[in-house]
Amino acid sequence: MDKTSADRKFFLITRLFIVVLCFSMGFPLVMTVSVSLQTMNEVYAPELNLIPSVPQFANYAVAMQNGNWPRYFYNSLVVTVVTVIISLVINSMSGFVFARIRFRGREPLFMLILVGMMIPAQVTLIPVFLLIRAIPFAGGNNWLGQGGTGLMNTHAGLILPYIAGSFGVFLCRQFYMGFPSELDDAARIDGCGRFRQFLRIYLPLSGPVLASLAVLKFTGTWNEYTWPLVMTTKDSMRTVQLALATFRDEGEIYWNLLMAATLVSGIPIYVLFFFTQKHFVSGLLAGSVKG
Amino acid sequence: MMKTRRKIVRYDKGDTRVAWLMLSPFLLFFALFVLYPILMNIYYSFTNYNLDSADWVGLKNYRRLFRDKAFLMALKNTSIYAFFGVVALTVLGFATASVLNRKIRGIRFIRMLMIFPYATSMTAVAMIWLMLLDPTAGLINKILRMAGLTGVDWLFNVRTALPCLIFVHIWKNIGYCMLIYLAGMQSIPEELYEAATVDGASEFNKLFHITLPMVRPVSFFVLITTMLESFKTFDQVKLMTGGDPLYSTTTIVHQIYQRGFAEFRMGYAAAMSVVLLVIMLAITLMNYALGKRGEKEA
Repeated sequence: MDKTSADRKFFLITRLFIVVLCFSMGFPLVMTVSVSLQTMNEVYAPELNLIPSVPQFANYAVAMQNGNWPRYFYNSLVVTVVTVIISLVINSMSGFVFARIRFRGREPLFMLILVGMMIPAQVTLIPVFLLIRAIPFAGGNNWLGQGGTGLMNTHAGLILPYIAGSFGVFLCRQFYMGFPSELDDAARIDGCGRFRQFLRIYLPLSGPVLASLAVLKFTGTWNEYTWPLVMTTKDSMRTVQLALATFRDEGEIYWNLLMAATLVSGIPIYVLFFFTQKHFVSGLLAGSVKG
Repeated sequence: MMKTRRKIVRYDKGDTRVAWLMLSPFLLFFALFVLYPILMNIYYSFTNYNLDSADWVGLKNYRRLFRDKAFLMALKNTSIYAFFGVVALTVLGFATASVLNRKIRGIRFIRMLMIFPYATSMTAVAMIWLMLLDPTAGLINKILRMAGLTGVDWLFNVRTALPCLIFVHIWKNIGYCMLIYLAGMQSIPEELYEAATVDGASEFNKLFHITLPMVRPVSFFVLITTMLESFKTFDQVKLMTGGDPLYSTTTIVHQIYQRGFAEFRMGYAAAMSVVLLVIMLAITLMNYALGKRGEKEA
């Protein structure tokens, strides 16, 4: 069919828009890589240096020696991996219960959890901080939770509040509600208890939803800044994000080193994102479909 | 939505026990780190708790809030941030999805590029833009100077600091909005477009008379989620401007952090948290009410 001139104009605008988009999204990233390989003279030169004259790969090594980066990575990894694993276990189990078992109080309880899901962590920042600080017998606290610092500056203190998120329960419930009810009847006839039913039938079929949830949780926890900021005071307990933020606070800013550290700090996310794009996207979308 | 049916349900006693047992780990965390903190937060907001002592002060914190210049600035800034962020993200999210919802070469790469900043941490994004916006080393001022203009001290200027934060917020989240819109657009039946083509509709007309109305629920969703997100903004402010200059970029959560964790005025900060909670609930309820009305119309 012949394209009208209006359509041709439309396609032209469309193409132009795509070019502008790619440029505005891509160029900052290109500049980040470029600056991370430049010398400070090039960074502060009056003209714009797009390609470093001699790529300074040593910047990466120097950046990683500014502070205890292996330790920061270790902290972030421990916190993230433990959070993901515990969340997957308790969220899938709870999701199964809400989707598949009829019990007294189910509807009001689920409503309560939905309401809880709407309450942002920022609102409860202070009381959760005070709670973690007042965990009895931890960090020099007495049995009343006084006198010490509780779980501040510990991995547990960083992990515990993340696990309480109820989005995963919601996500798993939605997923399990799509299972045919014959599955339950068959299990019942075989004399399979509810927990075994979950473990043997539902869990092995949960690959897609657990993958999505894992990717979302991993990204969210790895990228978290606020909670580690209030929860840690020691350098040895810093997470990667916090270390990156501190990098800038220290006196003169070495943009080349900072950009190198910025790129390194995201490596786990980039690897994950590259290999699990499908799950990442489906997780985001699952969050957007309301039941 | 599930229809609630009035029916006599008989619960299996064993089932009820197993259910609560299997829920117990989650419920424990939920009660401890969500429910209890909310109640405690409300309690603290009526005290002058400062890590040492907590005396009941009634409504004093709340009365003081609305005379606190920094907090009023925070309310204003957060609203501006939310308004422009939400409008831009909804419009650009739709526009981006509609141009990328077709088969062109390298489309997968382009979409990935769009989502990339969303997957990246706010810390990393903030560092990248601090570099680009740096008065001397930054790309933007270098380009301005090469064009013969004078550079701007972007993040230290009362007029440009907040717009810069809004811009970075849009840059980071546009991919997410695009993704949600793309999913919505891909579920529009192809026949609608085919029929419109037969009727001689232009591409422009198809976009505005088929796509836009068909993704209305998606627009609504994007609007609400980005609005809720905007009201929680903190990382970006703390990392990029620290609320400066002259409180021109401070936000509600930034004020909570300042009062609570820099000045240790926990009671006062808790009162701010309650205000934030009320705002969030108001947005959610509005969402619910409008969603209900939308369902009836459909």
